[in-house]
Amino acid sequence: MKIFGTLYPAGSSKAVTCSASVFDSKLMLNHEDGEQKSYDFASAILGEPILGQSQEITFSDGSRFLPADVKFRWPTERKRLKLVEKLEQNLFAVLGAIVLSPILIYGIMFKVVPAFAVQTYDLVPDSVVQEMGEQSMYAIEQAVLEPSTLSAQEQQTVTQLWDDSLQKLSLSRDQFKLSFYQSDFFGANAFALPHGQIVVTDDLVKSMQDHPLALQAVLLHEIGHVEKQHSIRMAAQAAAGAIAFAMIFGDLEGFAEVVLGTGSTILQQRFSQDMEKEADEYALQHMKQHGIDPKEFAKALEIIVEQAGIELENDEEGAWSKYLSTHPSIKSRIDYANAF
Amino acid sequence: MEEINLSAQSEQKTHQVLFTGNAKDYFGIWIVNILLSIVTLGIYSAWATVRTKQYFYGHTSIDGHRFNYLATPMQILKGRMIAFAIFALYAIVTTYSPAMALVFFVIWAAAIPWLINQSLRFNLRMTSHRNVRFGFKGGYLDALTHFVLLPIVGALTLYIAMPWVMKKIDTYIHNNIEYGNKALRVELSAGRYYGAVLRCLIVVIGFGVISAIITGVMGSFGDPGSLGVAMVFISLGFNFLAISLLAGIYQSKVRNHIFANAQLEDVATFESKLDTVEYSLLLATNALAIIFSLGLAFPWTKVRKAKMLAAATTVTLSENAEQVMEVYRESQSSLAEEAANVFDVDISLT
Repeated sequence: MKIFGTLYPAGSSKAVTCSASVFDSKLMLNHEDGEQKSYDFASAILGEPILGQSQEITFSDGSRFLPADVKFRWPTERKRLKLVEKLEQNLFAVLGAIVLSPILIYGIMFKVVPAFAVQTYDLVPDSVVQEMGEQSMYAIEQAVLEPSTLSAQEQQTVTQLWDDSLQKLSLSRDQFKLSFYQSDFFGANAFALPHGQIVVTDDLVKSMQDHPLALQAVLLHEIGHVEKQHSIRMAAQAAAGAIAFAMIFGDLEGFAEVVLGTGSTILQQRFSQDMEKEADEYALQHMKQHGIDPKEFAKALEIIVEQAGIELENDEEGAWSKYLSTHPSIKSRIDYANAF
Repeated sequence: MEEINLSAQSEQKTHQVLFTGNAKDYFGIWIVNILLSIVTLGIYSAWATVRTKQYFYGHTSIDGHRFNYLATPMQILKGRMIAFAIFALYAIVTTYSPAMALVFFVIWAAAIPWLINQSLRFNLRMTSHRNVRFGFKGGYLDALTHFVLLPIVGALTLYIAMPWVMKKIDTYIHNNIEYGNKALRVELSAGRYYGAVLRCLIVVIGFGVISAIITGVMGSFGDPGSLGVAMVFISLGFNFLAISLLAGIYQSKVRNHIFANAQLEDVATFESKLDTVEYSLLLATNALAIIFSLGLAFPWTKVRKAKMLAAATTVTLSENAEQVMEVYRESQSSLAEEAANVFDVDISLT
């Protein structure tokens, strides 16, 4: 069998029209000018077989021979080369890939990565948690917090609620720390850091002056975040997610960009919503256990919402915004607390 | 110039660049690449890269000779694994320690010029035509000047000097490209870059005026509430069209200019006649197709673009085209290219 094609000798841009024939382990090339040369077929490297392109062969001296027939494939024992090209042209394989790829992407993003993150957060040493909390606190403090303007007495009232809460939860006071700050950025709010520091803003304390038990509910909710290691889980989730995406999807073009862009946002938000629910549950459980009316929790949410100037009616924006918000619908949280 | 051309005319031949790929074939390669990459937890993506590149290189030909992509999957896999390890370290360290993120950032910033050079070098070294490889000879300091310092200068002049900076960057990239023992030379004019940017500015102003008029007209029809949603969609579509048009204008003008003023010494000259309107429309419809097909139209858009770019390009070869000598250089690591990929540093050749 004669194979017509072009020889590209090593070392220059010359191209020679040739015909080739394979004899056992030798490949004989007949140049158009009559010259003849034989190459070792077994040690030659075959190019990638690609649909619509003939398969190149590279000899050990660096010369390349490209058959003219685009359908031409060299005989080979290597199964990978044959199999992949077959899959790419097989209608069922292609349809299967269209269906399976999004399912697998979903599975990895929403099942495998979170499960993996859960496995890793126990491994984070306490010193790292401490460091992470302190550095975050420093950054937040520099950016959006100012010294508290509360009077010593106002602070004292809250500190009593705080001590009482820790005692009710049988938690050590060494592991937790309460701080007061004025913040225009946060308004009436509170947040917890992974190393057990909980910050309440002046606006929050003032707005709940007449409802100390509501304020205590907020403190319990924040302690819940710390106790359930939410920051660490969030961080582990983010790191595991970023690594998984870089590893598996880092190189996928097009589709991956559309699907993964929104997918990872939804994933983050959903994770964050789950954690808010968990912290709510923690607070409500302990309130009930110690004889505090769960309605105080609902009251606290109502006050925060009122302070933030959000209208509750507008909170039910429907399914779409639910996926994109970090906190579950406040109305549903209030209803849940009232019915607890 | 003209005299030389006339006397050399008998030995010169102009060739149309051909792209012979099609969307159907590439779709199969693309979707199988995705599936196998996921199933093998990313390992197959090295093979996927080789198949994708070879599909486009091998289907692009000049004078009956196709391009070849020479990197092997193992070469890419090694670079990717090291780059990935660095990225994993980065992701973990920066999540748990914001202070370390700063250290990482400084190292990263210092490495960017090196990464860009290495990445260009790897991609060009892995490209061959008629069994002769391309190359890139830019150095660290030049890259630092062009990719870090000059853009800062551009920003300091309130972006007035930016078109000039873009010209400098394109000159740096193209003047360091080699094909075998022949060097590419470009002679670019800042005026053309200002011209391209000026056209973009006119489009921006035009779109601004039109959207102001539309807002005014719609506003006079009462009930702003129900119009709100419609307005959001209209302005989104509008922005979208504007961005495609801007990219189309800038890229086509600059590409045509670079090709017209580039020559591979004694070997080749180039011409690009990319039509601004056609190209802008292609970019806009490509983006729309990807969004509305949830990404499935990606192979079609990529093939379509390759076809249009090839059809707009001709190469005039002298008889010396057969006499280019290969220059042997040390083997290339794909690490920088992969690191640039995983950290999203985007450098693409026009």
